[in-house]
Amino acid sequence: MHNAIEVEGLTKVYKSGRKGSPPVLAVDHVSFQVRKGEIFGFLGPNGAGKTTTHRMLTTLLEPTEGRIVIDGYDLAHDAYFAKRRMGLVPEESNIYVDLSGWENLIFTGRLYRVPKGERERRAAELLKAFGLWEKRHVKAEYYSKGMRRRLSIAMAIIHRPAILFLDEPTPGLDAQSTRMIRSLIRQMNAEGTTIFLTTHQIEEASQLCDRVAIIHHGQIAAIDAPERLKRDFQRVQSVEVALSPDGQRHGQALERLPGVNKAVKMGDKWRLYTDDPSALLPRVVHYAEEQGARIVSLNTLGPSLEDVFLAITGQEVGSVVPGNEDSPSRKRRGNR
Amino acid sequence: MRRWSKARLWDELAQIWTVASKDVRVYYLTPPMIMFGLLMPFFLFFSFSIRRGMGPAAGLARLLALNTFFTASSAGPVIIPLERRARTYDRLLVAPMSLVSLLLGKTLVGAFFAVSVALVSLVGGLLLHVPIAHLGWVILGVMLVSGSFAAFGLIFGSFPSSSVGGIMMPSTLLRWPLLFISGIFIPLEEMSPWARALSYISPLTYAQDLMNHAVLDRGVIPLVVDVVVLLLSVGLFLIPAIKLHHRSKVLGY
Ligand SMILES: Nc1ncnc2c1ncn2[C@@H]1O[C@H](COP(=O)(O)OP(=O)(O)O)[C@@H](O)[C@H]1O
Ligand SMILES: [Mg+2]
Repeated sequence: MHNAIEVEGLTKVYKSGRKGSPPVLAVDHVSFQVRKGEIFGFLGPNGAGKTTTHRMLTTLLEPTEGRIVIDGYDLAHDAYFAKRRMGLVPEESNIYVDLSGWENLIFTGRLYRVPKGERERRAAELLKAFGLWEKRHVKAEYYSKGMRRRLSIAMAIIHRPAILFLDEPTPGLDAQSTRMIRSLIRQMNAEGTTIFLTTHQIEEASQLCDRVAIIHHGQIAAIDAPERLKRDFQRVQSVEVALSPDGQRHGQALERLPGVNKAVKMGDKWRLYTDDPSALLPRVVHYAEEQGARIVSLNTLGPSLEDVFLAITGQEVGSVVPGNEDSPSRKRRGNR
Repeated sequence: MRRWSKARLWDELAQIWTVASKDVRVYYLTPPMIMFGLLMPFFLFFSFSIRRGMGPAAGLARLLALNTFFTASSAGPVIIPLERRARTYDRLLVAPMSLVSLLLGKTLVGAFFAVSVALVSLVGGLLLHVPIAHLGWVILGVMLVSGSFAAFGLIFGSFPSSSVGGIMMPSTLLRWPLLFISGIFIPLEEMSPWARALSYISPLTYAQDLMNHAVLDRGVIPLVVDVVVLLLSVGLFLIPAIKLHHRSKVLGY
């Protein structure tokens, strides 16, 4: 049996849009396989090349180099058949705002040549399953962000695709929509759909995926089951503390606290890498009391993808400051 | 592997219709379509082309050609950039149909708008008892000319851009010269030989001549030639549109 997705040496160079700006190597000779029936996660920070890959896999973007085979069909010459087998949910919900939820679904059903009776049954079923039934005749213009996302997912699966591609389906959504989307992904997978999911949330990838590829700067650093990647994730959790007065001098002492793997200075703060942030917190508080120092701020940070990437590729953790402040794995604890 | 079959052909035809009917429903009374498709041609007509001593029938033939040219060729450059910006265009690009079908669907949209605007002029003409030589030819001719110019408009709509303004500008810049070299303002028979040779480049020349045949029963080019040229031009205009779509796919729009 062939794989659901086979990718070989996939590369994308964006030619400079404006004169003078250099070309961007967004995806750099990436190869991987997704087995049938798998939920495959494509995990990476912003700008890693996830959307670029997603768009190449779904025929929207022409690769600079490399081969893509979807369900046995090579995109280079059998895109038509591949397109019939796939459904896609883009990063931005692209629904027709001038049409109602119902009309959006029926239109998509017609584009995929779902027979009339079937598409109406299926549209009703999906609208109900996604909590959009009451608003089915309202123009999608008046839908909330979460409703739009749910509608765009419903539109992606009206023709029961064999492979579903989702590009960061949950960030910025309300809890109810997020829960609904994740449970739908699991359910569709249980019914046999292969899922290709890009995300920048480590939790999402570990909760949902059978296997995860970690991508950074257009390259894959590792592909493995989330349990096995967990070790790498854990190594790069941390506690961040700012002490006053004279916060700089505590570095060496903090690094010697039990459970601290490494201390890295980040501005006026110290970042203490540890496998177990919650055990380390009281020790840091105790240390501060002992030293008569005031704690200006104290946070625990989940693993940042940048650090995971560095850990996996054997580079120095903490040598890159995570760029995305909106990383949901970043939890604030006491902030004084 | 069999790539084409009767079932596939049927699917593609249905999808052309799906694409076109959705657009007609969504865009028929939107401000850009009214502006570029409806007001502009009438404005042009009343400000430039009514000449003293021109009979009502000649006026109607000219109005029909002008209308159809501007309305049909406006749909592509308005609708495609709007859809690219809303990213809904991706839906059509990933749907299982050939790019030609998608483009024919979009051609049909422009043609539909042009035919409906022309219908207004035509009904007005009939109410005013403007003599029309061959009504059947007028209707067929309007449809053919609309199809050709709608496909022409797609060339501009296909430029890798998601701004209507950025596309309307060059498309207007190119449409004006075609308008002026054509036989629409100066009848072909009054042109100097070199101007006349030049006018044969413009598809509008054939449209105007076809309308003259239909309304006035008086054309300069043989009717068959008008029809064949306009039919072929649909295919001819689709080629750059396809090329430009491919370019968008490389650039990442
Ligand atoms: N159309 C484009 N033209 C030029 N550069 C682009 C384009 N799209 C994305 N990029 C660049 O390619 C890189 C990868 O982007 P993207 O695939 O969107 O990442 P992600 O989805 O992981 O956040 C980024 O550096 C981005 O700026
Ligand atoms: Mg992205």
